[in-house]
Amino acid sequence: MKHIAMMTFTAAGALVAAAPAVHAEPLKIGIIESLSGSQTSTGRLYATAVEYGVDQINKAGGFNGEPVQVTEYDNAGGAPEAADKFRQAVADGVDIIFQGASSAIAGQLTEDVRKHNIRNTGKEVMFINLGGEAMELTGDKCQFYHFRFTTTAPMRVNALVSAMKESGDLGTKVYSINQNYSWGQDMQAAVKASAEKGGYEVIDEVLHDVNKIQDFAPFVARIKAAAPNTVFTGNWSNDLLLLMKATGDAGLDVTFATAFLDQPGNIANAGKTALGHYIANNYDNAAAKTDAFPEAYKQATGHYPIFVEGHSAFALAQLQQALGTLDFKGGEISVTQIALALENTTYETPVGPVSVRKEDHQTIRPVVVSKVAENAKYPADNTDMGFETVKIVPAEEAIYPVQESCQMERPEQ
Amino acid sequence: MRNISILVAILALAIAVPPFLGIAWQNALVNVLIASLFALAFNLLIGQAGLLSFGHAAYFGIGAFAALHLMIAIEDGLAFPTPLVPLAGAAAGLLVGIVAGYFATMRSGVYFALVTLAIAELFHSLAPHLQGLFGGESGVSSMRMPWQGIIFGSLIEVYYLTLGWVLTCGLALWAYTRTPFGRLTLALRDNEQRVQFLGYNAHAAKVIVFAVSAMASGVAGALLAISNETANYSLFATDVSAQVVLQTFVGGSTVFFGPVFGAAAFTLFAFLVSDLTRSWVFYQGLIFVLVMLYAPTGIGGVIAYHARHRRQLDWSRLAGPYALALVGGLLVAAGVVYLTETVAVLFGEGYAVRMRDAGGSLPRYDLFGVSWDPAGILTWLLPLILIGAGGAVLVRARRSIAGFWNRMGRTEALAAATPEPAGGTA
Amino acid sequence: MEFAIISALNGVTYGLLLFMVSAGLTLIFGMMGVLNFAHASFYMLGAYVAYAVSSIFGFWTGLVVAPIVVGLVGMAVERFLLPRVHAHGHAHELLLTFGLALIIEELIKLFFGDFPVDYQMPADLRFSAFSIFGSDYPFYRLFIGGVAVVMFAVLWLLLTRTRTGIVVRAAERLPAMAEALGHNIPMVFMFVFGTGAALAGLAGAVAGAFYPTNPNMGLELGVIVFVVVVVGGLGSLKGSLLASLLIGLFSSFAVGLDWSLAGLFGLVGLGDWARSLGGLMTLKLSSVSATIPFALMLIVLLVRPAGLMGERN
Repeated sequence: MKHIAMMTFTAAGALVAAAPAVHAEPLKIGIIESLSGSQTSTGRLYATAVEYGVDQINKAGGFNGEPVQVTEYDNAGGAPEAADKFRQAVADGVDIIFQGASSAIAGQLTEDVRKHNIRNTGKEVMFINLGGEAMELTGDKCQFYHFRFTTTAPMRVNALVSAMKESGDLGTKVYSINQNYSWGQDMQAAVKASAEKGGYEVIDEVLHDVNKIQDFAPFVARIKAAAPNTVFTGNWSNDLLLLMKATGDAGLDVTFATAFLDQPGNIANAGKTALGHYIANNYDNAAAKTDAFPEAYKQATGHYPIFVEGHSAFALAQLQQALGTLDFKGGEISVTQIALALENTTYETPVGPVSVRKEDHQTIRPVVVSKVAENAKYPADNTDMGFETVKIVPAEEAIYPVQESCQMERPEQ
Repeated sequence: MRNISILVAILALAIAVPPFLGIAWQNALVNVLIASLFALAFNLLIGQAGLLSFGHAAYFGIGAFAALHLMIAIEDGLAFPTPLVPLAGAAAGLLVGIVAGYFATMRSGVYFALVTLAIAELFHSLAPHLQGLFGGESGVSSMRMPWQGIIFGSLIEVYYLTLGWVLTCGLALWAYTRTPFGRLTLALRDNEQRVQFLGYNAHAAKVIVFAVSAMASGVAGALLAISNETANYSLFATDVSAQVVLQTFVGGSTVFFGPVFGAAAFTLFAFLVSDLTRSWVFYQGLIFVLVMLYAPTGIGGVIAYHARHRRQLDWSRLAGPYALALVGGLLVAAGVVYLTETVAVLFGEGYAVRMRDAGGSLPRYDLFGVSWDPAGILTWLLPLILIGAGGAVLVRARRSIAGFWNRMGRTEALAAATPEPAGGTA
Repeated sequence: MEFAIISALNGVTYGLLLFMVSAGLTLIFGMMGVLNFAHASFYMLGAYVAYAVSSIFGFWTGLVVAPIVVGLVGMAVERFLLPRVHAHGHAHELLLTFGLALIIEELIKLFFGDFPVDYQMPADLRFSAFSIFGSDYPFYRLFIGGVAVVMFAVLWLLLTRTRTGIVVRAAERLPAMAEALGHNIPMVFMFVFGTGAALAGLAGAVAGAFYPTNPNMGLELGVIVFVVVVVGGLGSLKGSLLASLLIGLFSSFAVGLDWSLAGLFGLVGLGDWARSLGGLMTLKLSSVSATIPFALMLIVLLVRPAGLMGERN
């Protein structure tokens, strides 16, 4: 009985797959983001940027003879909910999934995509990761249908070390304080790995609980005791803010080398304490060759691109470029073809070219290193402070070798 | 007899309908089933033994991880039938439940709630550091392996598997409450001292109830693991413990199958509303508080009360006031939703930007397909009228319903019989 | 030595902040037996009200208005909401406050957004009180501590030295008897609840300007505050002061201690064996310092449920 039922399902599935498309099939994009819960602020920015990018594609005529459709799914900041929304997205016929806030959710989604594609040949879904920076996503868990359109810890640290050494702000004694989970551990490892190249010594390193610590003064006391020149930290959200505030309050004179200092609210909350600290990220308005992109973005969304919005919008632009090389003639869309096209695309962002590394689908991309300064061209959080570009570290200098753990199975051609 | 025919009808629907639904609905139903079992398991503690746990996520999560480790072993070649994977969740839940239960049930009341909270928090904060067991923050992942020709690739197969397990466990839990020992736990809730005087070991009895509840929670967690094929430490989060509390009490903890109503209502509510509005958690909280205030026995309690008095009910006289109450509730709900969404727009970031662009004046905004003027009288008068009119209708309906029940001489059940307003829109 | 002294200072000031929040909670519990889940939400509400008021009328006005507003909210909750569920027992009161916590958090997100808001201490409070071992010690930390100490003193005197205090204590012990003597007990309860809420609001207004004010602040502090009142003994003001200081000092010192279970076994020569087990054995204390309070709370609940200073069980 069960066998018969199974066969009926399979047959029905085959029928659906074989049926000729009558209408032009629109490309469907799903944003599975943290739109409620504690990481809402970041999730919202990713969603805004993706929607901006889709608008650009649609202004240029859409794809496959139809406007590209975009749907938001709220994963409430949790991996189980994300798995749930993934299924809903598949039910809605989504072809490409975008997500950025949280590596744990990216890990969940990339697994879901992998399993879905094994079970549904010909109906593949692809995942564009805008912010999950855990190394394992392009290591152990790497797969053909996952693309990472952001940096990772080694890239950020490489860039910071390179730029800070050149500007003479690095010093020889480095302290590393990070959150105790994969991202923080990746940062810690990267800081250690760059020691020789940067000519510094890691005098102490500490990992702490993620977003649970209210009072960072004890950590500052520990940092103070070690007397470093520079403090490397991958902290984000409250963990970064509280750390910087506590340092400022203690009058400790160190330079911070950070990854997420540009998160909205940080500069305003930290106040003058933030001045002189460094950040390495994918994009900053001040580093753009022309004002065209920030102005266009402001025109469309009402604000200049902040935090993760810039590089997320570029990911869409790169997708747009890849789509431009394809023509399904209004018929069925092949996600595999899109993925292959994306592999071969190099997109010229306002800070330099971005291309996909075929072996692990990490993007090879420039990293912008900036410093907080007063009277900035693009002020942050309605203050007079903002980011001043120190150096745009070219893609080839920032990139790291493919991890050995990545064994990607490519689709048969 | 009547009860059985209702059950059979529901069962027939649950078996026959899902193949015709889309994947999204099948998925939602799987979640409803899992949440129902979890809520039933949780309710065994509070409803039967009077123990309020604020950390049931611990046993739910443990069940999920145990199931995943078994699934990984099956993937590596262990000959174990996939449909029986939830047994791993049951075993793990039972084991952890015995240990945790032994300590937790040494206390009662608020202290018991705090012990369970602390245990769950311990799991939650230690899990991401224990790479081998819980796979760090990215969690453990596996794949459902085929068994006897069933490949478990499609969601409908997962649905039937879940349905089978939830039915079995739900009925087993119900049967358990009917055993002499199940009766004893009820007595424990009502008067622990007397139970001890009768020569029973109250602590041991409580540990057993706790462990059984943890075991069933473990099965629910395992079913989630089978459905999602991954689990990470966020399963231990306070939210998970909180959700089951909300669902159980909205559903009604005094009736055995009451929590199922709450689990179904909240899961479907999340499924339908979470992508429509950003304020859905707010509505959820509001519904919960309203139920607590106006129908403390929950949906299940209200239904059970009516079922119990069905012979005395004169629907020709009740239908009017009930319909009136429904209308009033809908009006109030419409007003509240309107206000909430308006505030969400006006205080939102997007509107602040538009206000700046408009040079400080208040630009119009779109909501529910209509353009509104934030300074307009109608904009603010409308919700006031909705809430005022709805409130007046509700008060009136409540009075006539109360009058009806009073005439039946059942004043004490007033609260339970008055339908709560927001429930109608949930 | 340097680390120890600075850590002790930090620990005490942080502990005093914890006390400010937990004082209200423990007052309410001691009085009415209600474990108020929404208490940390009152703390957050205080910070947000202070932020909203201070952006127009200045910092000090905000500091005064916030506790009053939050206190009024607390009174309303006690007067209109709690009595409705009182008949159904303590569990329902607990659940009601739990639902309120959810609603308050979501309302704050609705009005103020998800980002941290820019609530700052005034510039004339932003200076260093003194310099110790070459690093400045911010005055505002002392200010937080000072407010907490004053608060404790006032509460203590109020409860033990005034007529009002006697009535309150009588209402706590034997409400029926106190009522028979002509005291308006429901009024007393309402004011105690309001005062407790106002204290949390004051703590929020003071601390929000130092730590970031964001919609998660209630959740983050809430659990720790539970730990404090449990460890100190539910309902004991002195106990929660002691526990606050203990936990403050503990979280301050744990940061510098790279202890692990493996290290402990190392003392008896089993270090290598323990390290080879990995997992729990090699976790450093500094990296799991946020876990310790829960373990502490668990132990206290199991061994001495009345807490360090609590009287009742």
